[in-house]
Amino acid sequence: MTRKNCAPLLITLLAGLALVALACGGSSPATEDATAASGSADAGSSAASTPAAAAPAGSTPSAAPTAAMSESSAVATQAPPVPTAAIVGGATGAAIDSGCAPSADLTFDNRPPQGGTLVRLFADPTSLDPHQIGDVTSSVVVSEIFGGLVTLGLDYQPALDLAESCAISADGTVYTFVLRDNARFHDGRPVTAQDVKWSIERAADPDTLSTNAQNYLGDIIGVDDKLNGDATEVSGVRVIDARTIEFTIDSPKSYFLAKLSYPTAFVLDRQQVENDSSWLDRPNGTGAFRLGVYEVGELIILERNELYHLGPAHIESVRMILSGGSAMIMYENDEIHLTGVGIDDLPRLLDPNDPLNPQLHRSPQDFDVFYIGLNVAEPPFDDPKVRQALNYAIDLPGIAENVLDGRVSPARGVIPPGFPSYTENLRSYDYNPDLARELIGQSKYAADLESGDFPRITLSISGSFGAAIPAYLEVILEQWNQELDIQVDIQQTEWATFLEDVNDRKYQMYALGWVADYPDPENFLDILFRSDSQNNHNNYANPEVDRLLEMARTERDRETRFQLYNQIEQLILDDAPWVWTWFSGEGYALIKPEVSDYFLLQMSIPKYRYIYFNQ
Amino acid sequence: MGAYAIRRLLWLPFLLIIVTFITFTLLRFGPGDPVQVWLGQHQNDEVRQRILDELGLNDPIVVQYVRYIEGVVTRLDFGDSFRFRGKSVAELMAKKIPVSLQLNLAAIIITLGVGIPLGLFAALRQGTGIDNVVVAVALAFQSLPVFITAPVLLLIFALRLDILPTSGWNGFFSPNIVMPAVVMGVPGIAIVVRLVRASVLDVLGQDYIRTARAKGLAERVVRWRHILRNAMIPVVTSFGFTIAGLAGGTFIVEIYFGIPGVGLFTIESLFQRDYPVLMAFAIISTTLFVLANLIVDLMYPLLDPRIRLGAGHVA
Repeated sequence: MTRKNCAPLLITLLAGLALVALACGGSSPATEDATAASGSADAGSSAASTPAAAAPAGSTPSAAPTAAMSESSAVATQAPPVPTAAIVGGATGAAIDSGCAPSADLTFDNRPPQGGTLVRLFADPTSLDPHQIGDVTSSVVVSEIFGGLVTLGLDYQPALDLAESCAISADGTVYTFVLRDNARFHDGRPVTAQDVKWSIERAADPDTLSTNAQNYLGDIIGVDDKLNGDATEVSGVRVIDARTIEFTIDSPKSYFLAKLSYPTAFVLDRQQVENDSSWLDRPNGTGAFRLGVYEVGELIILERNELYHLGPAHIESVRMILSGGSAMIMYENDEIHLTGVGIDDLPRLLDPNDPLNPQLHRSPQDFDVFYIGLNVAEPPFDDPKVRQALNYAIDLPGIAENVLDGRVSPARGVIPPGFPSYTENLRSYDYNPDLARELIGQSKYAADLESGDFPRITLSISGSFGAAIPAYLEVILEQWNQELDIQVDIQQTEWATFLEDVNDRKYQMYALGWVADYPDPENFLDILFRSDSQNNHNNYANPEVDRLLEMARTERDRETRFQLYNQIEQLILDDAPWVWTWFSGEGYALIKPEVSDYFLLQMSIPKYRYIYFNQ
Repeated sequence: MGAYAIRRLLWLPFLLIIVTFITFTLLRFGPGDPVQVWLGQHQNDEVRQRILDELGLNDPIVVQYVRYIEGVVTRLDFGDSFRFRGKSVAELMAKKIPVSLQLNLAAIIITLGVGIPLGLFAALRQGTGIDNVVVAVALAFQSLPVFITAPVLLLIFALRLDILPTSGWNGFFSPNIVMPAVVMGVPGIAIVVRLVRASVLDVLGQDYIRTARAKGLAERVVRWRHILRNAMIPVVTSFGFTIAGLAGGTFIVEIYFGIPGVGLFTIESLFQRDYPVLMAFAIISTTLFVLANLIVDLMYPLLDPRIRLGAGHVA
């Protein structure tokens, strides 16, 4: 019996009755409320602020299990100390050329008021083991407890954490880090180069079952051998002396430091991990907070680490309630300090007369892009004219405004606004039904469309058992129907099965989204469009794009590199392997007035240490 | 009776072996696997196969199954969750089971608390308009599926009247439990009403009721002690099925009202291919079903002394 054949049987048996009901009940408003209530404030706000369930089929699950860093909603209660745009967009290669100097020094020198406990809703992390996790919820908690050589600053640029300096060899392949002399684990033991080496080797050990080691550490020479069980050590990580460590990577890669800021490269206490099987109940990390309490489904308490090498946090502790509850009510009852804002509450809060209005903050959009992938190996998408026509035939600004309440902005490229290499100077697709018809008329399927033999198109989306089809997709399908006379059927598949099929490139047309893992354009353009990438789900292959991607990979001048990526992005746009839909829009969060410097950020980076209470 | 119960319980392990083997096999033949879910959009076949190997998920099914059963039987070890890595299934389930039990209990109270008096009431007014109305209304509610009643109740009580919370869980004694318990409990009322009504009518025609009345017992005593008690047998029978039905019903209701019980957890685990949790669910629900039916059987003699369990070959 094949795997596929018994799928229906399995599901029938396991969940019999429930499925029938789900098919009709689907993801109800109640379920969403529940998610918002039991999830984190950030998760809640994301469900509301992005087209969430609404939009990108699969965006909800995709955000969770994969996408690394974005903590959903983000901006600052006040402007971040460093002007974000300037650094993200224009910091001219400081991070790379001048020997990987950090963009910002994260060490505290000023001391705002001390003490206090921040209380918020949150969700259970899937694990607290930095080397195992791959989801946003977990990385939010883990990056407060643990740390690595480098982290990301509030400007999303690599900044020094355990390392006090970093130098890159002339050929760009050898990174030398010197540890801070005050870098210590929570228990006071100094962090040594040996600890760093052991941690990288643990992450790359097949027994650790890391899903990310290859992604984030695979550039380091010897990691693949270790992962495959062919080596006991990672040869590319070399201890020079107790405080100096050297990483050798396989070729110059400008994004290596950004990757090294991910929890997969965090430093653990070898003695504890090897000797205490329940070490995760009281992990001995190097982060700004230590884990005080963790009761599954109930509560996490993070307590300030007084020894923290970048300066102890201002607040004493963070209380994360995991048992759920109605976030808005709890906020209004002064039970929690912050919450995301759902679409139902937003109109009331936007009213300047509402007492809560002054506590409302805009959170910046996530670094993500949503799209409809077209399998260029399958008719009718093997003709670029058809693909372009589909892009021209939809009125994205109109749909964004009328269907999605302006909560998204039309995607005019692959790279989201504010992300490194983002440019507005791309030729994108404007709503132009006449041109769309003309293109279809010129395509090799023109006659088929006339005669009714146009290839049948099926759009696959992820969603469990009859969850509502996102309204914006219905409108897009309707516009194709009206403007081009092209009919598209929708097929809905549950997430795990969807993943398997999309990965096997089985789908002709599918709706999906991508959220940034680390702040580098490679994370979008290379991963999704290189012809031999496993994440290229639509058989897109353009030798020119491949060639430029290879150049961009190794180019060390930031400006030149970003220009290459802009060029690549334009080529991809012209080839139209996607129908571009959205970048998610800004969201809203409520933050109590006494909380200062709670930064709403687009990536999950350590940030509780910045918070202080001003009363 | 003790021997009968033990004999019935001895069947449980065999039943569990069959159920777990089927569930185990089907899960592994189904599309997707937990590692694929871990990897999300960062699919990488090399990584996936390596981790599947490490987890032993590439071993022959029989080997995996025997390993699992061995863990359960010898160490009471239900394995670790794939979704919450490093957390044991037992630890996770221990948080969920009490929630579902409380919700089920509340639903049963509603079903029996409303159904029994209504059935008696209808029977005593047999043939009148009130009798017909009671039966018709109860039937109507039974015919309405949960996914109709839940949103309608939500619309009325949470959105329009704004007197009950939409979702969430705050323990047994909180307004959060009202709507889910009503949604779960109401469909069963019709069954109870009809059973009670039919069997009360049956009992009413018996000689001993006439005798009871003839010897001058108060009508109240006749009704509660003689009529109702004798009429309870079919109700108790159906009670077992009610429990089984509630176990199924909790999936939908828990999802709809965001109740962090076994049902919601199991559905989430299904989507995440969290095999050990799904196995634990199969074991728990099979055991509950068997126990519920056993308890029902054991209650017969208490209600009707004429019934003897396990006598000879009869049972």
